[in-house]
Amino acid sequence: MRRRLVAALLGAGAFLGAGDAAADNELDRIPATIQPPPSSTANANDIFYLQDDVIGSTRRNNLLVAFPPPLPARWEERLFADARVNWSLSDDVSLVYSGRLNLRVEDGIDFPSHETVRHDFREGYVAWKVDGETFLDVGRINLKSGVALGFNPTDFFKTRAVVEPLSADPSVLREDRLGTLMLYGQHLWENASLTLAAAPKVTTPSPVYLNTDLPSFNPMFDRTNAETRFLAKGSANLFDDFAPEAILFSDNGHWSYGTNLTRGIGQQVVAYLEWAGGDGIDLADQALQFGKDTGTIPLAAPSPLPSDPDHYFRNNAAIGFSYTTQSKITFNLEYHYHQAGFSDADWTHWFGAGARNNPAIDAELWYIRGYAAEQEVPTARQEAFLRADWVDAFVEDLEITAFINTDLRDCSSFTQVTADYYLSREWTIGALAAVSFGDKRTDYGSLPTGGSFLVRVSRYF
Amino acid sequence: MTALKYIVAVAALLAAGTALGAESAQEIVAKADAIRNPDKPFKSTTVLTEYRSGQPSDRNILVVYSKIDPATRQFRNLARYIDPPRDAGKMVLLGSVLWFYDPATKDSVRISPQQRLVGQAAIGDVLTANLAIDYTANLVGEETIEDAARQQRKCFHLDMKAATETATYNHIEYWVEESTHDPVKAKFYADSGRVLKILYYRNFMQRLDGLRPTQAVIIDAVDSSLVTVVDFSDSQFTDIPDAWFQRDYLPHLNVQ
Repeated sequence: MRRRLVAALLGAGAFLGAGDAAADNELDRIPATIQPPPSSTANANDIFYLQDDVIGSTRRNNLLVAFPPPLPARWEERLFADARVNWSLSDDVSLVYSGRLNLRVEDGIDFPSHETVRHDFREGYVAWKVDGETFLDVGRINLKSGVALGFNPTDFFKTRAVVEPLSADPSVLREDRLGTLMLYGQHLWENASLTLAAAPKVTTPSPVYLNTDLPSFNPMFDRTNAETRFLAKGSANLFDDFAPEAILFSDNGHWSYGTNLTRGIGQQVVAYLEWAGGDGIDLADQALQFGKDTGTIPLAAPSPLPSDPDHYFRNNAAIGFSYTTQSKITFNLEYHYHQAGFSDADWTHWFGAGARNNPAIDAELWYIRGYAAEQEVPTARQEAFLRADWVDAFVEDLEITAFINTDLRDCSSFTQVTADYYLSREWTIGALAAVSFGDKRTDYGSLPTGGSFLVRVSRYF
Repeated sequence: MTALKYIVAVAALLAAGTALGAESAQEIVAKADAIRNPDKPFKSTTVLTEYRSGQPSDRNILVVYSKIDPATRQFRNLARYIDPPRDAGKMVLLGSVLWFYDPATKDSVRISPQQRLVGQAAIGDVLTANLAIDYTANLVGEETIEDAARQQRKCFHLDMKAATETATYNHIEYWVEESTHDPVKAKFYADSGRVLKILYYRNFMQRLDGLRPTQAVIIDAVDSSLVTVVDFSDSQFTDIPDAWFQRDYLPHLNVQ
């Protein structure tokens, strides 16, 4: 007891005696002149920026399955103006526009030509805030679902929506994706939400696009509204930190189901699960059927891979977690399962068919993989995905992002590293390097582009 | 000389004991919380200006919607970035569950408590936190210290330990003016015991129906060249439905 009293006395004395000296030192660091805060936050809902990208790529030689022309560009220059604007028509009604105007010059495309100038009409809709908890929107809307980072099975409106991406990073792919013409309604309760979306068919499906036949000024509803689609999703906070989301989706009468779950584990980890399933056919059959329906592949063309026309229930899932360190690095590790993707036997047949050196067969084989890319699904059945994002890496205002996607069957991978340095409030410079690697007879090792490098500068307004 | 020190120390302890008898350490912190922020929902513009070696180097502006969660008595915040332009429209939902929303991708990503500290929105979150909820306070004694304007302030000196998982810092030292219960100064510590930040409240003005601090000065104890000045402006009471504090609301929040 006496020892505690002495300690308390000494402690109190120390605080009384030493407090001011320490405070002097701290107070000396407060700037003598403080900037007044800006008086206005006008245009808080609008974003406008210009960006210029220069890209160089290397091609692989001696591919086991020859890539049909046109070959991937070896260089590209892209200048674009990107805008997201919200005009308030009244207190409760606003008009939203989101789009990108591209000026592009690249290897293999004549300059000037109709391919030189392109406009991506991402969104254009009227938003009505019925009350603080009910929302009704109509027009072209980007409706995103899913909690995973590298693969989103429940993001049903993603198919064919990404036009000419500048990065393979899944989180960047979504930046320039076309919305879907739809009627969208949402109601929020204190611990629950319900979302309904109806997207009508307004045109017929078009063939898979190449980078040499993209329309200049065309909303491309053929990519987003070639089928009648309907989505309903609801979430409810059932108990502490358990708020599952359930999704029901219909694509031209074919029903799919999905769910999203997240769970915090301690201070640094968030675990998540995203699952979707529904009746369907294998990826190769889907692709070849789509090619025939849209006139790219002759109706009488034989399938280069064994066909299984039967519909049965297929699962897609992404399971993973994020982990953030005290040094501002966030890691995401995910396992991706795409049941309709290529099995061992499919890969064997794919390379076997390509070994025949028949240009028509090769075109079909690559058409399947191009179709998968446009659908934003992996060609492989099982993949691992690891992403790291480091804010203030090495120096302040430098952000480094890297990811690797690995086909778990053959361990071939695609990896990309991006560095962005925020020079000022307005200016950002960045660089990106991407490499695919693996044996020639592997998923990523068989790709026609071995690596690419990009430098860019952005000016925000 | 030694005897004089003991007399002063004993007097300080007696004074602390008297104060403890009048109101508990937890009540002192709660009263300071009530001065920092009201208990009704409000919206405020938060401007964070970073100074490097005394010169302005960076600025972030956020509009923050704050409302007390009746279940936890802790604030939930919905923070929307206004500036710099590259971050405009990004949002962070800081409640019992944390979400980050990017309008460029229209994507909501759930983040961990550690990940929220990566962005500047976390500072706003700390400044609205009801410390009396997240921390257990002990009265160390009374102490006269200089505030940010170098004025002498007679304060309660409190030592606070994290009491909940949602507490951002493990340990805080806190000085609250005895006569007014104005928050004056705080020191934030890491788990290791290292001082991370020193915070001064200043520029007390009429805001949200009370005399409240309109500026906080955060001195970084790790990076000796860095000081962040946080200004609160355009504060107003506003109706904030509880339904806003969920992931699905984030795409609908526009700043008027």
